[in-house]
Amino acid sequence: MTQPIPIIACGLIALGIGSNDTSNALGICIGCEIIKFKRAVLLFWLFVWIGIILQGGKVMRTVGKELLEINLHILSIALLISAILIIISNWKKLPVSTHQVIIGSLTGSGIASGMDVNYISLLEIILSWVISPLGALFLSLMLYRVMEKTLSKLPLLQIERILRVLLLISGVLIAYNTGANELATVLGPVIHSGLIDQMRASLVGPFFVFLGAVLLSHRVIETIGKGITALDPYSGFAAQFGAGTCVLLFTSLGMPVSTTYCIIGGISGVGLLKGIRTVRFELIKKIAITWVVAPFLAFLICFAVTKVLL
Amino acid sequence: MLKKSFFGGKIEQEVIEKMKRHIEFLCSAFETFKTAMVNQDKELMSSVSDLEREGDIVRREIASSIYEGAFLPFLRPNICKFVEIVDDAFDVVEDAALEYTDVELDDKIKDDCAKIADMNLKMCEMLLIAFESLLSGEDLREKTLAIRIYEKKIDEIKFDLIKKLRAKEVKRFWEGKILSDFIFYLTNISDLIEDASDYLQIINVSLR
Repeated sequence: MTQPIPIIACGLIALGIGSNDTSNALGICIGCEIIKFKRAVLLFWLFVWIGIILQGGKVMRTVGKELLEINLHILSIALLISAILIIISNWKKLPVSTHQVIIGSLTGSGIASGMDVNYISLLEIILSWVISPLGALFLSLMLYRVMEKTLSKLPLLQIERILRVLLLISGVLIAYNTGANELATVLGPVIHSGLIDQMRASLVGPFFVFLGAVLLSHRVIETIGKGITALDPYSGFAAQFGAGTCVLLFTSLGMPVSTTYCIIGGISGVGLLKGIRTVRFELIKKIAITWVVAPFLAFLICFAVTKVLL
Repeated sequence: MLKKSFFGGKIEQEVIEKMKRHIEFLCSAFETFKTAMVNQDKELMSSVSDLEREGDIVRREIASSIYEGAFLPFLRPNICKFVEIVDDAFDVVEDAALEYTDVELDDKIKDDCAKIADMNLKMCEMLLIAFESLLSGEDLREKTLAIRIYEKKIDEIKFDLIKKLRAKEVKRFWEGKILSDFIFYLTNISDLIEDASDYLQIINVSLR
């Protein structure tokens, strides 16, 4: 009876990833008219799929196997509550990380049902959440410095042409990370609990992300893509590529980290370089509060629900 | 898509060529204006309007290419603004040329007007050099500084001219109105070229 719940919840979360993260990846490219929406969505789908096939395994293992012992009840409660929280936060336009909600939910549900939680693994994950935005900040800052010393010396038309290519590459990198890290975090628990095999999940998961991108991402891209590019494609690239590289490094280590938070870190890094006054600390404070509250909230709700139901 | 990203830039190159042609037409208009004024050739002065029409055609072609998707959206407003300012300079030199056909300039102010016309031409030539520097990646600062110096010199002559105009006895309303308008248009051109050079700097730094 409870068997389809985790699968349905995963599908919903994957839809949410498609609706929101397409803009993370290719919003700038669409805003800059480097690529049309339909082609962007297809490219996004392709690289999400390549990402999960090539590098998704490590993150899936961390979340689905190393963090805690998972059974069907834990999985059903944790993923269903995660899906609800993610949908509500998307609806309320809060920058909530899918990883944090899922890890918080799994841990809450796991502890409530008396399962062994690998606290070292949990600590590593939490540390990676702290380090990854700072790493993205540093990488974007360095990248911007390098760009200033190399790309900026070129004639305007050449910069414009190179920037088009670079923006596309960084968009593709984020799409790859979405598959290798974000989607892997969602699918890891259902794969390692034996509900679905890895190959099938790696085909179905990206399809749901694609569906979310096709059906729901248009408006997000319109606002975020055009908004960001109206700011500055040069800094946008530095922030996005710095964040993408950082997420890729953490993916290689098998750590589930948020692309959104890394991009926020990247933007802050470029902002710091342009002058501390350009960084909106009020906004960063709000994001930081969400960063702390989201996993705790997911943990507490899942803990309480599991205690009541089991 | 990939072709445009990796090997593209043809439409951008076309826009650049047209923008260069637009400024060259403006230089021709200023040269024609100056020559016609020095030689008091009213027929030659009327050809300034023809050049303005040519400039208008080029401006429309640029706008249409940008509408088709030339350049990153981030650059487009500043490029359009630059082209519009150059076009405004065309309109003002045309207005000055039209006023010239009816104006009566005495020797006291004729020399000053000739100096301004000459400096307007030099400013426009400097704008063209600055534009070429933008394309080759050279530093624009010296060129824009030169434009600002010319503008300051024209301003000084303008204040002097205004004093002379105020001291001048005007017999008929239209005589005074036409002379005042002519001086206004002639001295306003330098402000527009300075604005255009400022926009070149904005375009230059906007992708860096």
